[in-house]
Amino acid sequence: MSTELERRLEGLFAEAPEPDPGAGAEALHRALRALRPVAPPHRGLRAGVLAFAGVVVLLVIAAGSLAAAGALHVSIGAKAKPKPPATTRLSLPKGAGASGIAAIVNGRLSVVIKGGFGLQASATAAALSPHALYVAAGIRHSLVAIAPSGRHAFSHPAGGRVVAIAWAPDGFRIAYVVRVGRHFLLRAIYGNGRHDELIDSSVRPVRPSWRADSLAFAYVGAGGKAIVYDLGHQSRSILGSPAPVTRLAFAPRGNRLLVATPGAAFLGRKTVATGEIEAIGWLQDRATVAVESGATEPLVRTFAPSGRPLEAFRVPGRVLGVTGGLVVTRTTSKILAGWRTKRVSTVLGVRNATVVEHLEIG
Amino acid sequence: MRRARRGDREAASALFRRYWRDAWRAAYAITGRRALADDVAADGFERAFAALGRFDDRRPFGPWLHRIVANRALDLLRAERRLADEELPDTPDRTPAHAEGDRGLLAAVADLSLERRVVVVLRYGVGMTPKQIADALDLPVGTVNSRLARALEQLRETLEVEHVD
Repeated sequence: MSTELERRLEGLFAEAPEPDPGAGAEALHRALRALRPVAPPHRGLRAGVLAFAGVVVLLVIAAGSLAAAGALHVSIGAKAKPKPPATTRLSLPKGAGASGIAAIVNGRLSVVIKGGFGLQASATAAALSPHALYVAAGIRHSLVAIAPSGRHAFSHPAGGRVVAIAWAPDGFRIAYVVRVGRHFLLRAIYGNGRHDELIDSSVRPVRPSWRADSLAFAYVGAGGKAIVYDLGHQSRSILGSPAPVTRLAFAPRGNRLLVATPGAAFLGRKTVATGEIEAIGWLQDRATVAVESGATEPLVRTFAPSGRPLEAFRVPGRVLGVTGGLVVTRTTSKILAGWRTKRVSTVLGVRNATVVEHLEIG
Repeated sequence: MRRARRGDREAASALFRRYWRDAWRAAYAITGRRALADDVAADGFERAFAALGRFDDRRPFGPWLHRIVANRALDLLRAERRLADEELPDTPDRTPAHAEGDRGLLAAVADLSLERRVVVVLRYGVGMTPKQIADALDLPVGTVNSRLARALEQLRETLEVEHVD
């Protein structure tokens, strides 16, 4: 027999709010992508024709989305060609053994790999896969993976603007941050574009960093603290820091995590540098911190995994990052990569107004 | 259902439209947050459609889907619960229209433990029987019944205290 309380509960849930139509549309799209057809016992001609028509429709949709994203140019009839966006002439750093380089310059993603292929597309974030076989990019409100040859691997609706992407060292997973309204969500997806899952519904827009074994990655939670998420145990470890974390970098071997706040850099619990941190990363097994030093050139300091200081050197311009075992700096006219290899090369020519949002060497 | 299992997108879309609202509302009732409900319900459908080939189509689709949605919501909320308080944006974003209906009861349900809240939502929000809830959550029916009884007892106590205040 239903009690008064039970009737109130039924009434309460009956008054629950309705889902947003937009959420339903996105969910339907995701659900249909996940559909795995079970083959009927006998495939007839009709099924073949339907499947072919489906493939044609999907190809048209894919071509349309790529055309809209700028990765593929489609021209029909005598319509006047729009002026193509300016080409970014990105070059691989010499003598560093790099497989590829990706940069977002003035909102356009540019990728160049060793074999000579290159692609350009409008993008909000990007990350190279291991060996630069693919690049994952935030294009409109989707996470898209493209081979540098231009071949489209997958496109996954992200539900918002993708602001940061990190590809796991083993290539099997991608962690990415999406802006939805005023909030940022952290999601992870398989490298083939399947099994997308929400990891944290409130994070900061900082690029996650994968541990060398690809079983965990670090990100910055909404409270500004570094969090290491273990995929195997689905557990989180929160790392204390005196100020909000702005950058993270796991070592390419082992599990040492280098963390930067606006005024200091930490390797594990040890403070390794203070001052305005321009960039952090790893030069092989050396934790590397670039500190802005006012009028003089930035100081780059390296440390053993234990935190013991190893070397310090100055580099020209402003340090953009430490990536692919190289320090990348920006001067008034060039972006340079090198120093540890003693061979510095120009990877991109720039002007004062050129905005370089992301540069990664893989 | 059979057409959807064979990959018929129109049939799958119809299946989605039929169950989306209930799945989302169940997710919302468990999580208390719209954004999380969007994700949980979408993940639930994604997983359900991916596993449609293994689904026994002689059984009803709704309870199976709600099982996936409820377990996904539990996984996410448990994962979040491991975070420190400052990382937890765990304030249910109740809309005024919803809150006006039975504000005290809503707050009391939100205060239930996750385990109790889920059985209450599945019982009174989705309309599942204790046996269906037990199947969905892989629990003995006795455990479901005792959680329901304790949840109702806790709700009564909370409401009485509020009434006295």
